[in-house]
Amino acid sequence: MAKQIIFEYKGKEYTLEFTRKSIEIMERQGFVASDITDKPMTTLPTLFAGAFLAHHRYVKKEVIDEIFSKIKNKQELISKLAEMYNEPILALVEEPEEDEGNIEWEASF
Amino acid sequence: MGGEFLNNSSPSYTKIFYECFPFYLSIGMTYEQYWNGDCQLVKYYRKAHELRNEQKNQELWLQGLYIYNALCAVAPVLHAFAKRGTKPHPYTEKPYPLTKKGVNEERKAQEKANRQKAKAFFEAWAARLKLPERKDVSADGNNN
Repeated sequence: MAKQIIFEYKGKEYTLEFTRKSIEIMERQGFVASDITDKPMTTLPTLFAGAFLAHHRYVKKEVIDEIFSKIKNKQELISKLAEMYNEPILALVEEPEEDEGNIEWEASF
Repeated sequence: MGGEFLNNSSPSYTKIFYECFPFYLSIGMTYEQYWNGDCQLVKYYRKAHELRNEQKNQELWLQGLYIYNALCAVAPVLHAFAKRGTKPHPYTEKPYPLTKKGVNEERKAQEKANRQKAKAFFEAWAARLKLPERKDVSADGNNN
């Protein structure tokens, strides 16, 4: 399952995700992956807007900017978005995770 | 090929996606799945492709085994100096069992067939001996 950021804004649920197509669109518009590390804060709004392309392609730029302005902890956001942006390319070389059948547990006290 | 990467420290992701695209199409992924679907799906398509290849390899190996055994079966008659009346060995009556359960069932069936054969042999042997009919003998040694 691809990494996603899910949040609700004004009663609507948004799912942010990068697909190969959304990366292609972003690169066609001039986005360069190395900018994420070279100039993270200036790249962040574009990266954030690009994450809408997969599931909310027709959301207006003003709405995206409005959401972006209200998002807290932008430092954390950029690292998560960068991780998500790299996922489609890493998936081409990584092996699927094998479930070893370990049991996850948690106590209720 | 690849020289473009030396000039640019950050290769275009799109270019790589397009380079890999034909391979994923060849292993059954659709355009929609590759470009717009869950990006992790490619890993599972690769794994499935690997499993299919292993299965195909197993099938080819098994086919080779059948051909080898068929050749061995007819080998006696192919011999240039074979004695007159030489017959080929029969081809295997059933396909080879592939699962552990199949192997066990085959072994049990073979054992049962061997027991039946032995029983028939001893019955025929006993019949040939023409043993006197069995008479019941009481505890004091007198025939009843």
